[in-house]
Amino acid sequence: MSLRRVGILLGKEFRHGSKSFIFIIAIIMPLVLSLVLSLVFGNLFSEKPRLGVSDEGNSQVTSLITESDSIVGREYDTPEKLRKAVEDGALDMGIVLPPNFDSLAEQGQMTEITAYVWGESLAKDRLVLGTTIANMIRDVAGQEVPVEIVTTSLGDDESIPWDDRILPIIVLLAIVFGGIMVPATSLVDEKQKRTLSALAITPASLMEIFVSKGLVGVVISIFMGVLVLVLNQAFGSQPLLLVGMLALGAVMASTFGIMLGAFIKDITSLFAINKAIGILYYAPAFVYLFPGIPQWVGRIFPTYYIVQPVVEISQQGGTWSDVAPEAFILIGLILVMIGIVGILAKRTAQREALA
Amino acid sequence: MAGDAIVAEELTYRYDELVAVDHISFKVAEGEILGFLGPNGAGKSTTVKVLTGQLQPREGKVTVLGIDITRDPEKVQAQIGVCFEITNLYEKMSAEENLKLFARLFGVSDFDAGALLERVGLAGRERDRVEEYSKGMKQRLMVARALVNRPSILFLDEPTDGLDPASAENIRKVILEERERGATVFLTTHDMMEADKLSDRVGFINQGKIVALDTPHNLKQQYGKRALRAQIAGPDGGLESREIIMDQPETVEAVQELFGQEQVVTIHSEEASLEDIFIDITGRGLTE
Repeated sequence: MSLRRVGILLGKEFRHGSKSFIFIIAIIMPLVLSLVLSLVFGNLFSEKPRLGVSDEGNSQVTSLITESDSIVGREYDTPEKLRKAVEDGALDMGIVLPPNFDSLAEQGQMTEITAYVWGESLAKDRLVLGTTIANMIRDVAGQEVPVEIVTTSLGDDESIPWDDRILPIIVLLAIVFGGIMVPATSLVDEKQKRTLSALAITPASLMEIFVSKGLVGVVISIFMGVLVLVLNQAFGSQPLLLVGMLALGAVMASTFGIMLGAFIKDITSLFAINKAIGILYYAPAFVYLFPGIPQWVGRIFPTYYIVQPVVEISQQGGTWSDVAPEAFILIGLILVMIGIVGILAKRTAQREALA
Repeated sequence: MAGDAIVAEELTYRYDELVAVDHISFKVAEGEILGFLGPNGAGKSTTVKVLTGQLQPREGKVTVLGIDITRDPEKVQAQIGVCFEITNLYEKMSAEENLKLFARLFGVSDFDAGALLERVGLAGRERDRVEEYSKGMKQRLMVARALVNRPSILFLDEPTDGLDPASAENIRKVILEERERGATVFLTTHDMMEADKLSDRVGFINQGKIVALDTPHNLKQQYGKRALRAQIAGPDGGLESREIIMDQPETVEAVQELFGQEQVVTIHSEEASLEDIFIDITGRGLTE
């Protein structure tokens, strides 16, 4: 196996294969679905309230604002810059903290702070920001509120938000469609146009050709999987592990795509077979869509082992020990499929020569 | 003395029950053009596929450039160029991109696509997409692609089939240039005139077997008949044809009789064509 030749073939795939219909669909479809999901369930465009601060001293409130997870906090050098940002609508609210603000607050002295509010900001954002500022100042002043809020969930406490339920199907779509269909169509197209025979007569082996096509599927799969998770703010706290699991899923999908491509003769048959078995790719997503379906049903389908670790890490804060069993099953499936691809490569070479 | 570029011994290939190539043996010397002739389905393309490592022989042994093709096909493929019978170019790419891709795969570092395209008469069209090319242009590009690695052996499978005379002539010119360069050419065709014009030797294949293999001259000597064909004035004022077979004991007498007793209007000598010889040997035509 020559990495140089794989690189040459990979370059060809990206330069010329990227203009294919399937390649474009593999990129557009998950994005469109993500955007629709975000619009419907309000992840993408529901921004946090934006608060700016210009600190004339060295208040702890400033760091509390900039480090807060519940609002977007930004610090400005001067009150003028802060005011300009609010006027331009870059902030919902801006506050100017005077020198020695923390000590004044601790002493309980009445202190005036200037607050600018953007006229078009939402009322709920103003309310959230006002409350947040008040809480932060109380913290700095050492005034603990003698109240503990006890929450009680009403309705179905088993219910899972719809965006969490739909996310697995979009992730599967991003990984599986690109991973399977891009290499499969590229390979079948080369068989149909007989360019595969021309490549096979060069020093490039059929395995090198398969690997280059599979890599295109892997790259698209990972890229789309990451993009979908970012768009849906579902990247979780273990990004490297998540990308690693996405990569394993992408390799499995692409290997299956190469298997299909090596086995099927023409594009029409490929689409027909894909239509017939396509439901099996996405079947595990229904387990998440309808939590009443027992989890074991999902485990029957190989693509479950792609999506489950992603859901575990991104939605449930899972770690390596939580997803390791699925990872090893994925690796096992990949190895079996690579073996099948090896056998199919020999068969394909003969079949191409006989065509 | 040149060595052998190709050696086939008892080469056999079967498609299930059908024997496509049946225990054929031949050698092709380095720098030689071998015309491999036969009708459709005779086994020409199958032989090329085995010689180029695309198919594994069921029986027999094939050595190309001293390498056993079944043991190390990649090593052989790095040193040969193949022009397929059916067009298989990347149609969405330009001619230049097609050639450069293959040159990179062959590891050719100093590749000049423009010069090669000029050789096959495609200068000025190198950046056009192949899908915009005519059949003749595509075929010339196929030949150019087979030359990107400056092959030691060039396998050409029906390179001029269905082409206009100008394109066909261009390809023939390139074949002769390659021989000049020192390349061996294995040319399959059913165009007898082309084979006669280009080949140092020709092999006839019929139903998977080689039925004759020699220089065109020797084949004509061995199997062909030379004749004199004359037109004489008939008693009613019309023309009649007469044929006198040459190289026979009675030839001289027959010629004397013709000129002594008849009024000869036209006379010319006739040499057997390769097609005549093929029909003579196999009892069937090349286009069947």
